[in-house]
Amino acid sequence: MAPKDYLAEKDKCKRFLQEFYSEDDSGKKVFKYGAQLVSLAHREQVALAVDLDDIAEEDPELVESICENAKRYTNLFADAVHELLPEYREREVVAKDALDVYIEHRLMMEQRGRDPADTRDPRNQYPPELMRRFEVYFRPPSTAKPKVVRDVKADCIGHLVTVRGIVTRATEVKPMMAVATYTCDQCGAETYQPIQSPTFMPLIMCPSQECVTNKSGGRLYLQTRGSKFVKFQELRIQEHSDQVPVGNIPRSMTIFARGENTRVAQPGDHVAVSGTFLPLLRTGFRQAVQGLLSETYLEAHSIMLMNKTEDDELGTEDLSEEELRQITEEDFYEKLAGSIAPEIFGHEDVKKALLLLLVGGVEQAPRGMKIRGNINICLMGDPGVAKSQLLSYIDRLAPRSQYTTGRGSSGVGLTAAVMRDPITGEMTLEGGALVLADLGVCCIDEFDKMADADRTAIHEVMEQQTISIAKAGIMTSLNARCSILAAANPAYGRYNPRKTIEQNIQLPAALLSRFDLLWLIQDKPDPDADLRLAQHITYVHQHCRQPPTHFTPIDMKLMRRYISKCKKSQPMVPEALADYITAAYVEMRKEARVSKDTTFTSARTLLSILRLSTALARLRLVDMVEKEDVNEAMRLMEMSKDSLQPDKSSNTRAQRPSDVIFSLLRELASEGGARRGGSGSVVRMAEAEQRCVSRGFTPAQLQAALDEYEELNVWQVNQARTRVTFV
Amino acid sequence: MPSVDDWINNPLGIVEGIFAQGTGSPDWEKKVLDYFKDKMEENVSRTWVPSLNDVPLHYLKPNGLVRFRCLVQDMFAPEFYMGVYETVDPTTESKALKCGKYKDVTECAPVDFNSRKAVTSERQTFYCVPIPGESAWVKENYAGSSQARVVPSTSYTPNRQKRSFEEDEEMDSQPQRQRETNAGTPNSADFRGNGDSRRQERGARSSAASPVSSPLDLNFPLPGEQGPACLVKVYEGFESYKVNDTLEVFGILSVDPALSGVNDEKEASSVLDPMETEEEQRAHSPPASLVPRLHVLHIQPLQHNNPLLPPAASEERRAFLSSFLSELDSVRSELLKYLTHVLLGDALAAEYLLLHLISTVYARRDVLPLGKFALNLSGCPHSCPYTERLYQILQQLVTSSYRLGMSLANMNGARLVPRKDYVANRLVSGALQLPSNACLFLDETQLEQGQLDATGVRNITALGNVISWQKVDYDFSYHQMEFPCNINVLVTSEARSLLPSDCRVHLQPQLTPPDLEEYLGAVQAAQLPSQLNKYRTYLSVARELDYNIAEEVTKAVEDDFVDMRKDDPQSISAEDLHRLLVVSRLLSLSFGQTSLSRDTWLRAKNLEMVRMNRIQQQKCANGNEP
Repeated sequence: MAPKDYLAEKDKCKRFLQEFYSEDDSGKKVFKYGAQLVSLAHREQVALAVDLDDIAEEDPELVESICENAKRYTNLFADAVHELLPEYREREVVAKDALDVYIEHRLMMEQRGRDPADTRDPRNQYPPELMRRFEVYFRPPSTAKPKVVRDVKADCIGHLVTVRGIVTRATEVKPMMAVATYTCDQCGAETYQPIQSPTFMPLIMCPSQECVTNKSGGRLYLQTRGSKFVKFQELRIQEHSDQVPVGNIPRSMTIFARGENTRVAQPGDHVAVSGTFLPLLRTGFRQAVQGLLSETYLEAHSIMLMNKTEDDELGTEDLSEEELRQITEEDFYEKLAGSIAPEIFGHEDVKKALLLLLVGGVEQAPRGMKIRGNINICLMGDPGVAKSQLLSYIDRLAPRSQYTTGRGSSGVGLTAAVMRDPITGEMTLEGGALVLADLGVCCIDEFDKMADADRTAIHEVMEQQTISIAKAGIMTSLNARCSILAAANPAYGRYNPRKTIEQNIQLPAALLSRFDLLWLIQDKPDPDADLRLAQHITYVHQHCRQPPTHFTPIDMKLMRRYISKCKKSQPMVPEALADYITAAYVEMRKEARVSKDTTFTSARTLLSILRLSTALARLRLVDMVEKEDVNEAMRLMEMSKDSLQPDKSSNTRAQRPSDVIFSLLRELASEGGARRGGSGSVVRMAEAEQRCVSRGFTPAQLQAALDEYEELNVWQVNQARTRVTFV
Repeated sequence: MPSVDDWINNPLGIVEGIFAQGTGSPDWEKKVLDYFKDKMEENVSRTWVPSLNDVPLHYLKPNGLVRFRCLVQDMFAPEFYMGVYETVDPTTESKALKCGKYKDVTECAPVDFNSRKAVTSERQTFYCVPIPGESAWVKENYAGSSQARVVPSTSYTPNRQKRSFEEDEEMDSQPQRQRETNAGTPNSADFRGNGDSRRQERGARSSAASPVSSPLDLNFPLPGEQGPACLVKVYEGFESYKVNDTLEVFGILSVDPALSGVNDEKEASSVLDPMETEEEQRAHSPPASLVPRLHVLHIQPLQHNNPLLPPAASEERRAFLSSFLSELDSVRSELLKYLTHVLLGDALAAEYLLLHLISTVYARRDVLPLGKFALNLSGCPHSCPYTERLYQILQQLVTSSYRLGMSLANMNGARLVPRKDYVANRLVSGALQLPSNACLFLDETQLEQGQLDATGVRNITALGNVISWQKVDYDFSYHQMEFPCNINVLVTSEARSLLPSDCRVHLQPQLTPPDLEEYLGAVQAAQLPSQLNKYRTYLSVARELDYNIAEEVTKAVEDDFVDMRKDDPQSISAEDLHRLLVVSRLLSLSFGQTSLSRDTWLRAKNLEMVRMNRIQQQKCANGNEP
């Protein structure tokens, strides 16, 4: 391979900086780098970030060479910029600090002392680093995928790589000497020493012409004001937990940040860092110790902060066609739901509800009023029906989640606590599980055993999605936009379907009504289901895997990505459906009034239906809610209510409308009888009709009931059909 | 052909020989590995290699071949080293190509860092500790089978702190040795006194040694452990090893003093590298005399740590197994009898304890571990020494174990869950960092009323996680990492344990010996060492057998389940079926049967029924109590 002609490469860089442009909307040429060069020349900008995507448009080969030899090209670009800058200077720049003044003076000195015939570059004598006040960074091409720390190996040395991780340690920002300037005590000449490594050996003897010829032995003294320093910070990042293979310890990597890249990240931040992977050579004694080893670090070019929901995976790139097809097969809804906790058998509807919880409904904020989109679900049930398993699975599946128990173990608890910092003595806010789960899922096990203080706070979280703090002089409101998935045990060991939910769970109705769905998971005998369950379990024990008759569950990662894709769509409820939903709601209210319901149907129910149906629409990746979505949402509501109803099969039979009407009339009669002094059990037809209609029965149903019971000779209806007399 | 001594005493010479032969060709590395692999796979020759576990470090020749039975406690970042480098002789300017593999320090000649021939390679460092909780008999057996000829140097002074306990014994005179073997198989009532003296001895030693020993924490998972920790440098296939794997490592010992990173030039180090704190240096490059380096030539993962079983996948092993299987039944009944005696004549509890001892997590489906069988032995006599003695008896049967007295002080103070220390950049170990199939003996009889603090709650949760999910959530401060484990948890309690368990047996003593202490001592003493060895082999063999369920039995099981549900839905749930399948699996294996038979299924059902009845009874009895 022929050695590269770096001068030619430098020209390429120069040309690129000068000539690269993009066209804006009006077709005008925008010189992206030209404009930046101007501000660099006027000291209005320090960092010049060269986007490799832009270079790729002009010269893909150059991008490749840059990625493989980033350090060299950084210098080439810096040289190119340096040479170009005077051309871009439009006006005189006011010196900003001492170093600027120094540079100016040095240039002037140079010009004055120079032989006019000599056409040498005036800056040649000074190390280029000393005269530069800008920094050049590369922004990696968007095609380059971020790497996992453990994949950055020896073959990456010298390359431009991008890694992701969590910052575990950051040093203070310190000045680091870039060019040391010395003055001679004899001749007064300045000597410069560019410094590349972490340590340097100071110069002692003056190398100037004068001192050398005179042999005056001039000593050099370091001159702090004339030297150039850069900001320097060292960071250490560690892999994300999901990038670590099972049973391995997360790896970490050292990062050197200079100049503008310092003070970007703090410990605990999730970052994506791109930079050059370089070996660190030690000098002196340490080199002997380290012997054959070389330590490595990443010289940062750009540090980007990211929040966990974004970074968690490869999620940034879109799902491939193939993957989409795999998901959006027929009955994908069932399939997705089934892929939640596949090791737990059955409970299809619960899993569907959990899937919707992960996707979440659309948040609405008309005119400042905020209506949450997050779906809250409460699972109840006898001990040992896999509630906790479901919770822990969701906790693992959700990109951002917190798992806690009602009796949170730490002092912070569920909401937030004001803590005194042990070192500074300042009061600081520490977020509890609900705050940490912001924009995610908060799984609360043993919800019923929650501390009272948390219980009051959770009301606010579940509807307003904030936590207000007024403690120790700190008054604030923290975001807690999380879905709550709670699991509760019945108060008396087993769920008693004959009691209301409040009695069973011992939670106030105000809190329970904030859950969109309440599921009671019960263990009911059913030969068919039992057989399937038995088959499932024996198969698992036999082969240690899923029975083949089942579908293959969708991979957790794929699922996460699909869900995050779903979350991006914002489906609307079309006008046409509004009536349908209203009618359905009214119907539900009616039903709730009639039946001896243990649940509540309130305006919150309507919102829940909307949330569930928008979540369903999201799941299908469409922009409009359809009727089927609403129907499915209502079905889920219905199923969740059903699960709370007393066991129907144990009752004698379901009540028909006629039976209900009969009991209504009976009631009326006794009321009327009481009023009239017990003289008769007569009900006036008008009254009866009024009562029945108010309970949601049609007059036709009333007539049918009248006929039916008259036939049975329970009551008599007079000829004019105005009065009903009980026999 | 190099002689035997050569490859044990001077393995680097062989490496260099092969390197010189094949200069330029890339397959010299493979040749080196093959050479040593051949040596290690011969059973005879591997016993010649001295073991770091039972030979004190200063007996061993630097740069000699040693082996080390260990657990991977932590993994450090990979290191880049120069696999091949060139040296320049300053006087003659002549260049020489050298091999940098399996070494820590360069030879004196200045290295030409810009040489084109230099090859940078990658290796990984594991921080390894001796297997935590390893039973004394395992150590003794390994030490006994070692053929290594180690010549003690004359400068040896016998009060060194870092030697292993067994080595100590070997140095002792014969009568004392006799005493120790007695302790191994205690046969008299003086055992306790003996054990006490042993403890005192140990305590005295550690207290005497503490002022001189450096405060360096060797990071052993269990408190009071002894033995060398080791920085193991792995060159090949390091991706395949995980934290908590148990390995037998063959490698070149390196104890060059230059490696000790803790140098006195404090200011130099702080200027050089603001990042590397002093703690980190201490953790990552401790003095080589305390934590030697081991350059790996060959690694043998240990499926089990039972010295009585021949190594896996050998011809010998197969022959051994088939011969052992023939007497398996008799060993089982003997062991059962023994355990029955130990459990005060309770045959049911003994049966369950036996099943518990051979249980192992054989597969995982997502979060659900299959095959775990945590046992809660309730109704233990409160007279405290009983559980302690029970533990001692179990200790003699299993390869590694740890007893955690669940006293309040312990729960609030113990460090159970490993935690990442970012200052020192290492994983600080905790008691739950145990090798697979370790026996964790939780003594709940020691629990008293009182307040659990935050640590205590976390510890209890961690124990619960181990029991229910067989996982430990290591604390990485910014997040938690789930590490699967395979720990047999046995909880002894007076009433139902506060921890979950797969199965609870209430102890019903059939006999009430006037002096419990004496009785147990006698039971224990009645077992000959050969019998104990049989039990130990039995437990390891039964655990490793393959197992399957035939189709028709599956069908029968399913029908059975449906029928049972029909009669009384409350009587059996999915969880019960899981447990029944585990019980029947363990029962089959305990008889050496590799597939479930109808009989065994019925037997398992029966066993479960008796157990449930007993719990019911006990509940009633308790209910009647005022």
